[in-house]
Amino acid sequence: MAATGQTQNRMISDFADCKSLIIGIGNSGRSDDGLGWAFSESVEESELYRGDIVLRYQLQIEDADLISAYDQVLFVDAHSGRVDRGMRCELVDPHIEHSYSTHALLPGAIVGLCKELYDATPKAYILMIEGHEWDLKIGLSEIAQTNLSRALQYFQEEINQ
Amino acid sequence: MGKARKIIIDPVTRVEGHGKVTVHLDENGNVNDAFFHIVEFRGFERFIQGHPYWEAPVLVQRLCGICPVSHHLAAAKAIDQIVGIDPEDLSPVASRLRRLLHYAQIFQSHALHFFYLASPDLLFGVDAPREKRSVVQVAIDHKEIARKGILMRKFGQELIKALAGKKIHGISAVPGGVHKSFTKEERDYFLEENDTPSVDTLIEWSQSMVDFIKGYHEKNHLWLDKFAAYTSGYLGMVTPEGDLDFYDGRLRAIDAKGNITLNDVPTDDYIKYFTEAVEKWSYMKFPYLTHLGREDGWNRVGPLARLNVCDRISTPRAQQELEVFKAYTNGRPNGRTMHSHWARLIEMLHCAELMHDLLHDPLVLGTDLLRKGEQRSEGIGIIEAPRGTLIHHYEVDEKSMITKCNLIVSTTHNNEAMNRAVRWVAQNVLDKQKEITEGMLNQVEVAIRAYDPCLSCATHAMGQMPLKLSVYDHEETLVKEYVRD
Repeated sequence: MAATGQTQNRMISDFADCKSLIIGIGNSGRSDDGLGWAFSESVEESELYRGDIVLRYQLQIEDADLISAYDQVLFVDAHSGRVDRGMRCELVDPHIEHSYSTHALLPGAIVGLCKELYDATPKAYILMIEGHEWDLKIGLSEIAQTNLSRALQYFQEEINQ
Repeated sequence: MGKARKIIIDPVTRVEGHGKVTVHLDENGNVNDAFFHIVEFRGFERFIQGHPYWEAPVLVQRLCGICPVSHHLAAAKAIDQIVGIDPEDLSPVASRLRRLLHYAQIFQSHALHFFYLASPDLLFGVDAPREKRSVVQVAIDHKEIARKGILMRKFGQELIKALAGKKIHGISAVPGGVHKSFTKEERDYFLEENDTPSVDTLIEWSQSMVDFIKGYHEKNHLWLDKFAAYTSGYLGMVTPEGDLDFYDGRLRAIDAKGNITLNDVPTDDYIKYFTEAVEKWSYMKFPYLTHLGREDGWNRVGPLARLNVCDRISTPRAQQELEVFKAYTNGRPNGRTMHSHWARLIEMLHCAELMHDLLHDPLVLGTDLLRKGEQRSEGIGIIEAPRGTLIHHYEVDEKSMITKCNLIVSTTHNNEAMNRAVRWVAQNVLDKQKEITEGMLNQVEVAIRAYDPCLSCATHAMGQMPLKLSVYDHEETLVKEYVRD
């Protein structure tokens, strides 16, 4: 993950007060890989949050252009490793990524490109939600559902601060 | 006398799909042969069988995340025929909206290829360090080009979204027309400058990119003219007047000297003229003109081929650039593989002009979207996709279920051409080399990349798509392998 590794308390609390964007990353046809989308859709339905929301299969270079128009960005993605309470939110560290393939970029690379191309550095976070099943299947596993609920609760508490 | 080797490149990078290259060397290190293998298989033609015909335009576009609109529209044209509607029977509104969608797709796909995949080779050189040959480095060193590339692609994608609901795998076409009209508000977004450039700006930027490639060619013509250049046939679609047409027309093929080998035949007759060969070492087939045979009947398709076969382009700026392009080879067919990039940028300019004209046409805001006809049992839809001629053919039973599906995808037409390009690099770059450098390997990829192959389309496959190069001796023992991780 392109994050600093530093978890912060109430890090996204000013999301409601600025021009903000949630980017849900994943694929709902791959079971728990749909966590990023499920989170984004739940936030949209709950009307907790009035900023913008987009869904992505993968992050691509043009997303650098997209985020340049925002003050804050929250990337939400499924996480295949193990984290306490099934979710974790971290600050994203902007960096330049050199890879032979540019089909999929990490959040840090998008923020780095945004800085490079548009001289803009939105404050960016990644919310990682632990998933367990990745097969071709629509619907989250039971444990992913639980982790999604925790992530939504965390988000709600943060923006209600 | 050294041991014979075989070189394999797997994965081939900065292409859409997963391919592998093997180069076979003899005891003296000379290239014996080279192959471009496509190692994925999906079998879309089979599993679409048994589905109702109206699902085809929606299902088949899932072949690809880069050019789904092309599959959507080719399938829609075929399904139109099944509901008794030929292209000329579509309502003028539906016809315009489909064309607008198609031009937006070609534009964004060409932008993706040129700016994201091909430009690093041109801007930094094929021998540049590997980490430099990426669009990320383009963003750092050539910000203006990178910003233009991003916004030009964005324009196409946003227009697709406005017309089809989503940037990828949206739905616009339905049997006999389109299901959604284009509102004035939606249309006006593309006429004005906002977070995407206006269509007028798009034309200027497209022209600037054609000027860029001409300037680049002036400085690098020795390489661009020679690299992976070879003769072939060329196939594309033209109007009855011989103009380039991406959406509908007649099939024309010419040989390396410019002689007509397929004389503006109706697309519905394609099956009379084409055969597909198979080779045991690739899942991708090898189409050829039946009357010329497997050896002489293969054709290149895509931007270079289309500019070779057409007489004219209907929009003024692109026509002017076509004249310059054709003048460079004195009107003879252009077999220089790297000129594909030049041709692609001329096509982008043409698409920008076409989108401009359609966005100013009041008929695109019309509401007469659908036509009905007498149901038939067969439908054939052929369009010029970004990468070349795309053929969809369906048969249905009395219960409207698909019983047969044949797809000949653009990249498949270019299969022989890409193999020839790989062979050229093997013989001219890798031959007699004791050590194969990373820059040499990249030249194999540069030759393939010029065709902008979509290997997922060609085999109808899915998943991660990398590429590999391996070296075998004359006894077929693997000696060395170059793999990118």
